[in-house]
Amino acid sequence: MTGAALPLARRRSAYARRRGRSGLTFVTPFMIVFTLFMVVPLAYAIYQSLYTTKLIGGTTFSGFANYATVLRSGPFWGGVARVIIFGAIQIPIMLAIAFFFATIFDLGVARWGRVFRAIFFVPFAVPIVVSSLMWGFLFDPSYGPFNRIMNTAGFHNFNWLSSGLMIPAIIIIAIWEWTGYNSVILYTALKSVPRDVIEAAILDDTPLWKIILRIKLPLVRPAIVMLVFINTIGALQLFVEPYILNNYQAGVVTNTWTPVIDIYSTAISNGEYQLGAAMAVVLAFVIIAISVTSLTFRNRRRDFG
Amino acid sequence: MSAPTISPPAVGLPGGPRSETRRERKRRERLEEQDANIPVEFYGLKRGTVSVLTACCVLFAIFTLIPIVWIIINSTKTQANIFQSFGFWFARPFEFFHTFGNLFKDVDGDGTYAHWFGNTVLYSAVAGVGATVLAAYGGYGFARFEFRGARLFFAVILAGLLVPITLVAVPLYLVYAKVHLINSIWGMIMPSMVSPVGLYLMRTYVDLSIPREILDAARIDGASEMRIFHRIALPLMVPGLLTVLLLSIATTWNNYILPLIIFSTNDLFPTTVGMGLWLQHAGNSGDTNLFPLLVMGGLMTIIPMIALFAVLQRYWRGGLLLGSVAN
Repeated sequence: MTGAALPLARRRSAYARRRGRSGLTFVTPFMIVFTLFMVVPLAYAIYQSLYTTKLIGGTTFSGFANYATVLRSGPFWGGVARVIIFGAIQIPIMLAIAFFFATIFDLGVARWGRVFRAIFFVPFAVPIVVSSLMWGFLFDPSYGPFNRIMNTAGFHNFNWLSSGLMIPAIIIIAIWEWTGYNSVILYTALKSVPRDVIEAAILDDTPLWKIILRIKLPLVRPAIVMLVFINTIGALQLFVEPYILNNYQAGVVTNTWTPVIDIYSTAISNGEYQLGAAMAVVLAFVIIAISVTSLTFRNRRRDFG
Repeated sequence: MSAPTISPPAVGLPGGPRSETRRERKRRERLEEQDANIPVEFYGLKRGTVSVLTACCVLFAIFTLIPIVWIIINSTKTQANIFQSFGFWFARPFEFFHTFGNLFKDVDGDGTYAHWFGNTVLYSAVAGVGATVLAAYGGYGFARFEFRGARLFFAVILAGLLVPITLVAVPLYLVYAKVHLINSIWGMIMPSMVSPVGLYLMRTYVDLSIPREILDAARIDGASEMRIFHRIALPLMVPGLLTVLLLSIATTWNNYILPLIIFSTNDLFPTTVGMGLWLQHAGNSGDTNLFPLLVMGGLMTIIPMIALFAVLQRYWRGGLLLGSVAN
């Protein structure tokens, strides 16, 4: 098809040049809103981050002073480390569960697959504020039903929301929120693996686990990389769960617990918005750095594979 | 080979065959599923494997439904019973309708849930439709036209995928403070219309489902570009459009940090921020009975979203996210 279409393609690009203006017409509305409500605010935040407001002396240009403060801030990087640890534990567990169920649904080796797929997807429709609210009640050390069950079974009270267990508790909530969504995306990817490949493997008497791990898994690796990528960005901006759970157990979630909580309390609660803007820019760079690293990693892997 | 999920839409084709009835569709989907699946017997599984795997699904389904069941049961309880009775069973008196009625009252001076709910619906509907319209035109433009700067623009938008709304919220606040958009509903709605993901999905969808040949044929017939888009492309884009609509409605419905930052008037709050405020006050305000309202409010926030997903589920093309990555 490609060979025969060559002259046609050239003619089409002549059309295309004439149609350049229509193309611009189509994308302009999006580009305007995108520029006004995303590019401009970010540019303005970068601009603001270069200034400092003092009680005496007003606002002055201070170069990278705010950045120096952020880069030296122990609590900020503590928060960054915390969300990285959170993501490093939560994402692999969630993706493993999601892949497990996606495989089951794809192979059709469990009954009522359609029903389960629908049920697993339900949490995606629940706002994180509400899911944190529900899990906060469930985890609550004094009246939560989980503790009540454990007490009845003869165990001691177990404080899910104490400082040592807050991260595991949020990991459980995040797994609850996102496993179904990830599983549906993996399921779609698995479905697009050509059927004849699998049929050939079956005719060769390949055991099922080998079909899954040696054939299916490598073929959906781009989808998995994509999900790692999306979920990592999500994990780095952890905000709502700890912010809401803080109402159940005061004192565990500090003002610097995650980078976004830190940015919020610095810029909005304390009114140091220039410093907050600098923090937001630094966090954006951390996100971009991690994303670019993972993408290069993926490309390199593909070159060898 | 295109993925089976991105089959050409059977609905809305002008002059096409009448769309099938619900029962016909159910049967066709079941047949297609059976056809796509290799029969289980061929995998050479041990007896009982299917039961074990089904049991795994049941366990995870229970985990998924625990909070949902809890919130339904506890929406019928008094504040005292929410704390004292066992969380997974009912307790008298049955307060569901009483609490539901309180959603329409300003119970502790923070605001009325029904009002916040109206705000949420307004923000999500306008932002959802807006985001879908922008993504439809933009995605089509990027997928089917070549023009100066297209690559650069698209690269910038892809970079926008990395900067989620949580991170833009504080910068937006700084700009709003300058241009007086704090406490304006447009300050909430406009940024929610910016959906780089939506544009990316639409571009992928157009690439996969609208052949250039159809468009070229229409051009030869002398149709204008806008007419071609509205009459030919748009009807073919329906499943993709509904996916973007669903995604952007859900994102706005769930948004917490942006309204938290830009609204200081309680009247403008969406449900998420209103309930966050209640939760803060519930702990230290004695017997204002806010906890039953929180539980009921949470339930009422969830139900419309689940209903919407249930209705539009068959159009959901989450797999589009993989579109060009998979190729």
